[in-house]
Amino acid sequence: MIPLEHFLVLGAILFSLGVYGVLARRNAVLIIMSVELMLAAVSINFVAFAGYIAPEEFRGLVFALFVITIAAAEVGLALAIVLRLFRNRTTSNVDEVDTLRW
Amino acid sequence: MIGMEHAWLLPVLPFSSFVILLLVGKYLPRRGDWLAIGAMVAAFVLFLFMMADLLGELETGAEFEGVRSGIQWLPLEELGLEIRLGFLFDQLAAVMLAVVTFVGTLIVIYSMGYMKGDPRYGWFFAVMSLFLASMTTLVLADNLLLLYAAWEGVGICSYLLIGFWHERRPAAEAAKKAFITTRIGDVGLLIGIILLWREAGTFDIREIFEFARGGGYSPEYLTLAVLMLFAGAVGKSAQFPLHVWLPDAMEGPTPVSALIHAATMVVAGVYLVSRTMPLFDLADPVALAVVVALGLTTVMLSATIGLVQTDIKRVVAYSTINSLGLMMVALGAKSVTAAMFYLFVHGFFKALLFLASGNVIHGTERQDVKELGGLQSEMPLTALAFGVGVLSMAGLIPFSGFWAKDAILHAAQSHLNAAVVGWLSFSIFLTALYMARLYLLTFTGRPRDKHAHEHAHEAPPVMLWPVLTLAVLSTVTGFWAFDQVGEALGFPGGIGRFVFFEEPESFHFTAGTAAISIVAVVVGLAVALWAWGGEAAPARRLAETFRPVHNLLLNGYYIDRFYQWIIDRVVLLAGRTLAWFDRVVVNDTGVDGPAGLGVFWGYAMKFVQTGRLPNYALAIASGVVIIAIVVLAVRV
Repeated sequence: MIPLEHFLVLGAILFSLGVYGVLARRNAVLIIMSVELMLAAVSINFVAFAGYIAPEEFRGLVFALFVITIAAAEVGLALAIVLRLFRNRTTSNVDEVDTLRW
Repeated sequence: MIGMEHAWLLPVLPFSSFVILLLVGKYLPRRGDWLAIGAMVAAFVLFLFMMADLLGELETGAEFEGVRSGIQWLPLEELGLEIRLGFLFDQLAAVMLAVVTFVGTLIVIYSMGYMKGDPRYGWFFAVMSLFLASMTTLVLADNLLLLYAAWEGVGICSYLLIGFWHERRPAAEAAKKAFITTRIGDVGLLIGIILLWREAGTFDIREIFEFARGGGYSPEYLTLAVLMLFAGAVGKSAQFPLHVWLPDAMEGPTPVSALIHAATMVVAGVYLVSRTMPLFDLADPVALAVVVALGLTTVMLSATIGLVQTDIKRVVAYSTINSLGLMMVALGAKSVTAAMFYLFVHGFFKALLFLASGNVIHGTERQDVKELGGLQSEMPLTALAFGVGVLSMAGLIPFSGFWAKDAILHAAQSHLNAAVVGWLSFSIFLTALYMARLYLLTFTGRPRDKHAHEHAHEAPPVMLWPVLTLAVLSTVTGFWAFDQVGEALGFPGGIGRFVFFEEPESFHFTAGTAAISIVAVVVGLAVALWAWGGEAAPARRLAETFRPVHNLLLNGYYIDRFYQWIIDRVVLLAGRTLAWFDRVVVNDTGVDGPAGLGVFWGYAMKFVQTGRLPNYALAIASGVVIIAIVVLAVRV
């Protein structure tokens, strides 16, 4: 059986990749994808803990389901925003969207 | 029958006249001057009735303590305090009221002529009425609080009347100067009254005397309190060092100078000290020593300055300061009789001098002796009256000033020392000198201003007969010194048996003091005749020889300059320092400081808002990491 640590390490790697993507990328779509990566990492953690610590309960799995649902909704919303942004500014580069700065 | 219990009517009469003149004065025929005069005449007649009543009372021979009348004013039962609008009529008040009502009546009549045609004719009579109401209240007040109110009342009238022609800048400034200078003394008076009340719990003068006699005040406390009262007297009675306002007060109309700044208001200080003499007596002797010292300083100061002044009214003003100093010396010798006697005769001859100078000013429209001279032929009656005033002021036997001055010399001799008598004798010599100089320069010699001389004319009857009446009185009132004269008039005796402190003082004519003062006066007159007679050449030579001294005196020992320096250098510097403190510390630092801090931090912090998404993301990420580390660290 694969030990729990492997899942946790996979989750951590995925999460770090997601953080890196959010911080380093300039394209709004790629940032959203990175956020999705972070959410996926969290979901893996939930499922892994659920299977190893309390296999007879479904609490962790339910949380994972919620995360997937919310991620779907969030991506829908975020892509709509990006779409409007592109329509208005003809760019999806977040560096160029700085109207609220001083 | 009208008698002493109607004393309260005395202030009410002129006060009603004031109110009526103020409200409807301009609709009355002749702007209502007859109302003010009528009120004054009525007050004088009332005073005569009260006097008759008083004399009848004295004839019974019983101890007379004065008659009180009045109403409750402010009942402060919680404080156990009752403030009365109370009046006390006794011999002291009677002497003062004789001057106030009689001289006041003559002067308002004189004003009809002098103020004729003035645009504020009605206002003049209204304020004169208010002044007489305040003055009679001051004299009759039976408690210190009412006295203080009246004291300030005469002060404000003095201010209004000095600045009567306030379009002229010197008049407006003189009014302010008088008000502010006397106010310095008035603060002392108020402190003194509060000190006396704090221990005794009453403002009533008689009750305070009882309290003091019973040893209620400690000697040091009482000394401080009476010195504070005396500070008020110093301001009002123009004693050194607060004498500077009186010469400038001559910017007012001449009747005002005569009534307020010679005959009545300025002697209020003398009256106050006379009234509270029992307290001065119980206090440490140093209190009376201060009175004497300031009196002597004032006498010599004013006499020397009077020698060189050229404005006719200013010379008379300095002679008033001189007289007030003499009265203070008498009070310092505990002789209320001598002080009040001098006050009484002074009221007549000083009013006379002022009204006669008023005639000169009215007739020539000049008031500097450098532009006058030779008026004897143009204004013979005024010259005669002025001459009587000069001789009275100088104190030549048998004019009234002589007897009053003699009483003061007697008092100084028996209660003070020979040095004081010598000092006074020298001042008497100087008085004779400068008064004679004033007469010689104004009425004799060659006219120095042709135009003014041709223009000169004798005053109209309404201005002449008050002057002549005063001239007669200045000649005869001095004889009241003698018991026989007093008895013949229905008094218990001379003034010493009428007004006195503790025990009657009969007037004794002693050849020694009389000789001193007669010699001093005669020498003074003779020197004046030599120096200023004819072309006044010797005087000019003396002035040339002693130029620095002459300048010193002409500038009044530079006391005004010194005060101006203090105001410019000390008062204004303190003011500027405080203004700087307010501007820099309170406003710029205290108020603008925190506001500026907000502005600064707002400016500094706005750079955090870069508007770059990665920056915000980094902030969030690092924030989460830091929180995670902190939470873990706390757990462990």
